[in-house]
Formats: sequence, C-alpha cells, structure tokens
Amino acid sequence: MGKPENGVNRRNFLTVAAASGAAAVTAPTGINEAKAVPSIARIAPPSAAEMEAEIGEARLLPAAVTSVGPNARPGSDFMVDVLRALDIEYVATNPASSCRGLHESINNYAMNKKPELLTATHEEIATAMAHGYAKVSNRPMGLLFHGTVGIQHATMAFYNAWADRAPMLIMSGNHLDAAHRPPGVPTTHAAQDPLALIRDFTKWDDQPQSLQACAEALFRAYKITMTPPYGPVAISLDAHLQEGFTENDLKIPKMTRVSAPSADMDTLKEVARMLVDAQNPVIVVDRGSRSHRFQPLLVELAQLLGAPVVDQLGRQNFPSRHPLNATDRARGVIGNADVILGLELADFWGIVNSYSDVAQPKQGRRLKDSVKLVSINSRDVFMKANYQDFQRFQDVDLALAADAEASLPGLIEMVKSATTPEHKAAAEKRTAAAGAAAAKNLEKLLSEDAVYGWDASPISTARLSAELWAAIKEHEWALVSRDARLSNWPHRMWNFDKHYHFIGDSGGAGQGYGLGAAVGAALAHREHKRLVVNVQGDGDMMYGPGGIWTAAHHNIPLLTVMHNNRAYHQEIMHVQRVGNWRDRGLGRANIGTTLENPHINFAMMAKSMGVEGIGPIGDPKELAPALKRAVQIAKAGEPVLVDVLTQPR
Amino acid sequence: MMKMILSLAAGTILSSAAFAADAKRGQELFIKAGCYQCHGTVGQGANTGPRLGPDPLALESFISFVRNAASTNMPPYSAKILSDAEMADIHTYLASVPKPPARKDIPLLNNK
Repeated sequence: MGKPENGVNRRNFLTVAAASGAAAVTAPTGINEAKAVPSIARIAPPSAAEMEAEIGEARLLPAAVTSVGPNARPGSDFMVDVLRALDIEYVATNPASSCRGLHESINNYAMNKKPELLTATHEEIATAMAHGYAKVSNRPMGLLFHGTVGIQHATMAFYNAWADRAPMLIMSGNHLDAAHRPPGVPTTHAAQDPLALIRDFTKWDDQPQSLQACAEALFRAYKITMTPPYGPVAISLDAHLQEGFTENDLKIPKMTRVSAPSADMDTLKEVARMLVDAQNPVIVVDRGSRSHRFQPLLVELAQLLGAPVVDQLGRQNFPSRHPLNATDRARGVIGNADVILGLELADFWGIVNSYSDVAQPKQGRRLKDSVKLVSINSRDVFMKANYQDFQRFQDVDLALAADAEASLPGLIEMVKSATTPEHKAAAEKRTAAAGAAAAKNLEKLLSEDAVYGWDASPISTARLSAELWAAIKEHEWALVSRDARLSNWPHRMWNFDKHYHFIGDSGGAGQGYGLGAAVGAALAHREHKRLVVNVQGDGDMMYGPGGIWTAAHHNIPLLTVMHNNRAYHQEIMHVQRVGNWRDRGLGRANIGTTLENPHINFAMMAKSMGVEGIGPIGDPKELAPALKRAVQIAKAGEPVLVDVLTQPR
Repeated sequence: MMKMILSLAAGTILSSAAFAADAKRGQELFIKAGCYQCHGTVGQGANTGPRLGPDPLALESFISFVRNAASTNMPPYSAKILSDAEMADIHTYLASVPKPPARKDIPLLNNK
C-alpha cells in the first residue's frame, strides 16, 4: 500500500485520476464549462473504506489497478508472462479496443515475439487459422477478440473446432464494470456473460476478476483444451485487468503435463479377445490421430489382426496405399464384418446404417445380425447436449470412454498375447486377400474411372488430382484440405503415409473454414519447409478471402489451387432434389446457388492482396506448367494461388 | 412388374422420338436439367453419381432408371420434368461423348 501523498494515497490517486479523467471526457469544451471542472474536483473522492463499503474492494480495486509506483507493471504484461509460460507461440487477432492492453503488451513488452500477433481480417478466419495450426502442431494457438462482436464473428468457426476436436485458447476483452467503463461503443460491446454465446461448444470458459485468478484460469484453460477430447476453451480478460497496474508478487502456475484418458487393461483384454477370435474383423477410424504416434500404432494393430481399415479421413490415420486400407470398399467390408472396432468415430450410426435422402427417407442396417461393435471414443468422456454433432445414438457391445491413441499400445499388447499361430496365419491370409482386393480396386479406379473426362473442360477432378500429384510428389508435401469434393481422388492416387500428410476437414461443416485453416496449417508446417497444398472451394473462399492477405503479410508459404466450379454445388443438388420430389422442374435450381454472372477471378483477387495469382485455367493442358510455376513460388517461401475451372465433383 | 410396364411404355414412345434425337440439344438438356451436377459435364461420373457415357444403358433402361430412381439416392425425373424425347436427346449426347484415352497412354495415371 502506498503512503499518503498530499493527503491522497496511491489507491486514492488512481481513483482521483479516474474521476478527473471522466470529467475531462464528459465535460463540454465550451468556455463556461472551464469553471465547472474545479467544482467537480472539490468533491472529495470516496475513501478506500467508503469504496469498500459501497461496492467492495475486491470488485473495484483488484490487484492490477491500484498502483503506479516505480515497481508497478501493467497487468497485461503479466498476462504475456503467463502466455509465455504456456509456450503460446502465436496469437491471431482482429484488433479490438477491449483487448488493447494485452495487444500493446504483446507489441511493446513481448516485442511481438512469443507470442507473435497474427493479423486476420475477420475473427472467423483467425479461428480457422488456429484450427488448422493445432491439427498440424498439436499445440493451441491463442486468439484475441472483442468480447461481444468479435466472439459473434467467430462463433461458427468455434463450432467447427469443437466438432473437429481442435484445441485453441480463445481470449476476449470485456468492460464488465458499468461504473467505470467508457460510454458508447465499449459499453455496447460489453456483456455480463460474454462467453455464454459459445458455451455450448467450448469445453470451458471463465471471466477472472484478478490477475492471479487470470493466471490460474489461463493455465486451467490450457490443461482442458489439451486433454483429449481436445476442444476450444475461452477466457474473458476484463479491460481493467489488462490496463491496470500491479506491483504484487503474483504466481504463475507450473505447466501441467496431461495424460490422455486410456482404457483399462482388463477391458482392452476383452476387446483383444473379440478381435483375435473374429473371422472378419474390421477397424473404422475417424479422428484417431492426434500426433505422429497414432499411425504406426494403427498399422501394427491392423497387421496383427489382418483387419481391413476403413478411414473416415478425419485425420491422417492410415497409409492410403497400405494393402489393408479398405476405405474405397467400406460398404462391402463393413457388411461382411463379424467384429467392428470403431476408433474416435464422429458418427458410428452413419457407418453401420444407411439413410437414403429420398422423398420418403429410408433407413437400413448394413450389418450382419451377429456382428459385435466396439467403440473407443474420448467423446464419451465429455459432451454437451444442445448441438447434435454427437450424431445419432448407436448401440454397441462395448464402449470404452477413452482416447484411442492412448489406448492402442495396451490393446496391441493384449492382441499379441492372445494371438496363436493359427490366428497369425488367418490374419496373414486376410491381409493377402485385402491387398489383392485393394490392387484390383485401384486398377479399376485408374483404368475405368479416372480416364473418363480426362481432356474435358472444365477440368475433371481426377485430372486435377493427377496433375497436382505429379507436381508435388518429389517434395515433402502436406494436403491441408479435405478431398471429398474432389471425389476423393487425392486419397486414391497419392501416397499418404506420413503423419503430417493430411489433417481432415472442418468438423462442423461450416463454410469459411478452408482458407483460414490452410493458412494456419501452413504456418505450422513452415518451420519444416514442407510444400503445403490447399485445394480450395470457391464458395468457401468467398466467406473469408482475407486469409490470402494474412498469408502474404506473414510470409506463410502456401500453394492454393482453386476448385472453382462456380457454385455451391452441394446446395444445387439439394434444391434440385426437392424440385424433383415435388415435380416442379429444374430450371431454377441455379437461383441462389451459383457463383456466376459475373464470374469471380480468384487470380486477380490474389494479386490484389500481394499474392501471385495464376489463371483462370480451363484447358487441362495448361495445368502442368501452371502448377510447376506455382510450386516454385511456394518452395521459395511465398503464398501462391492457381485458379482452376473444375467439374462440380 | 411396374418397371417392365414403364420400360415398355418408354420403348414405344422412343421408337419414334429417337429418330429426332439430337446430341447438341441433349448436351444442353444435360446441363439445364442438372444431370452434370452429380455425373460431370461429359457424364464421366464422380463420387456423387456414376459414369453415364460414352456407353450409356440401353435407351429404354436408361429412361426407366431415371423415372424410377427412388430405389437410389438419385431424385426421380418425371416426364413432366424431362419428356421421353428429351431423355432420348440426352441419351444421344452421352453416346456421342468421345471414348477416353487408355490408361496406358496417360503417363500421369501410371505415376507412383
């Protein structure tokens, strides 16, 4: 506590200063008002005791606000220290006055290094960047947004991250104290409970009221976001904590090492027994991989069992060319299975049942009656009720509420223990049969499917994928976009076998994910000098094209290839479908669904933001030289965009 | 039984309509009717719909399938939406699509 100086101690000094400041802001500038200011000053500020009696010391005078002595430091500098202790490397932001204290501290106290600010032109883009970054680096990015309008902007992207189990540390500003916050816009942007809006799809949130509580909240948030199942967490950092001062000796907690929830060995032994004794075991995997450890474990398990693997492609789970990869033959192997092991499945029901989207929807079961279903899923540990991303309930024989990556080593050991020479021989036989079926399927795909439309314009997705593979395969590459809208050709043609080759899709299927996630993923790949490829839908791009500028501004190398089919094709098909059901014709399915008249020139768009833009390319013969040039630019460390006019799918 | 009746009916109508079938008109209809959304502009197929050309089903079977697609995820096209004559034009267009090169003649499809 500071000594009284001229009858005003430090605490009261701040109070006086605040009152004078308020007077200065609110007093009109007319000549008559010059006399009014002293009259305000003559009003004695309330003493600390009076203040405490009025609204409570803890509320008005938290540790951060009370001192401007020689040892005082801004509260937001302390927040930077906390972020550094958490090893937060980047904070993506769209600047916001309610975050100005922390923003200034990152600029001038941290000197914009660890964390480094990333400038995004929309909070949704910033959040998608954090989403893509986390899936490559297995680390959370920080986000710094306005507490009301910024959070509102980013909401859909948070939902994507929630559904896709991506960790991130959301920080938002607020002015909670109605008696001291600035009037006008800051008050319009203030909220009693600013994170209520996203509580249904974040794992945890808090609004600490002191710097010490802030440090503990950030550490708790970090622990929660990085404990499987991963998911976004959010902290509201009140402006008075950011902008105030402290000379208190505050404690930064120590980093907590977290262990993922793993299945118990007795239950894993039971699962192993079921799998080893099965005649046709099948593994289905979705968001299994959290790190480089997962894929080798899954390969080992599949090979021990001779079990075909159906990859839902939520992550890089299983090598695309492995003989046991049965992704393209999913319906057949699932229908023939007697035991199915589901690993981190977003939708077990949808995998083992059919649903026809026809005028009178039809549902059916794809399984043998005797099949046994086993689920290992960390989502069983933690879920919420409102949003339905947990999908329809599927009854299974055994559900292990555990993280698949953490549980696989134990399961493998149990499978090894249970395997006899007869089991091993049967597994080898199944592996050989699966390999032959996979080779036959690939031959059909390439000889009977890919060749059709080879020279077509717009360019076929098979041709685009083949040209792209030829351009990148000699490099260390990574695909940071989902290829379902390319008819899965990359996963059919390319050799996905490194843990970093693929990161899955948005999770929540909210448009606007693609470019931002690609920029964030490319940032995480940058230190490894990988050639990062983003095949970007045109509709998705138009939600957040500012990501192009962010990539240029922060020197993030990224090869974006536009899948420019000039429409929201999924939606055309939906409108067309309903029109057919109602027998009302097809001539107007393009209304509200196409991106034509005028056409969008994405190469020009890229150029306008300082990024080399190539195209538009509609002639498939022009594709190879364009991609070759683009690869050179990306390998030189710059973002580049190639606009390709494509078939719908 | 119903399929057989429909197939026969379609065959009767098309025996006259097929004379006038026109590939260019069929191509326009293929786009306008939205067939290309799932099957591609040259009927090459995609993960949203199978390949249709250049060797489509026999015309009668083709029309029967399109009219009675309720057993699949494909929306059915009634005669009000696409007449048999228009279907014949589309069929002619699909049959006119050039045959693709063989895989062995496409180096990119022999890449590892």
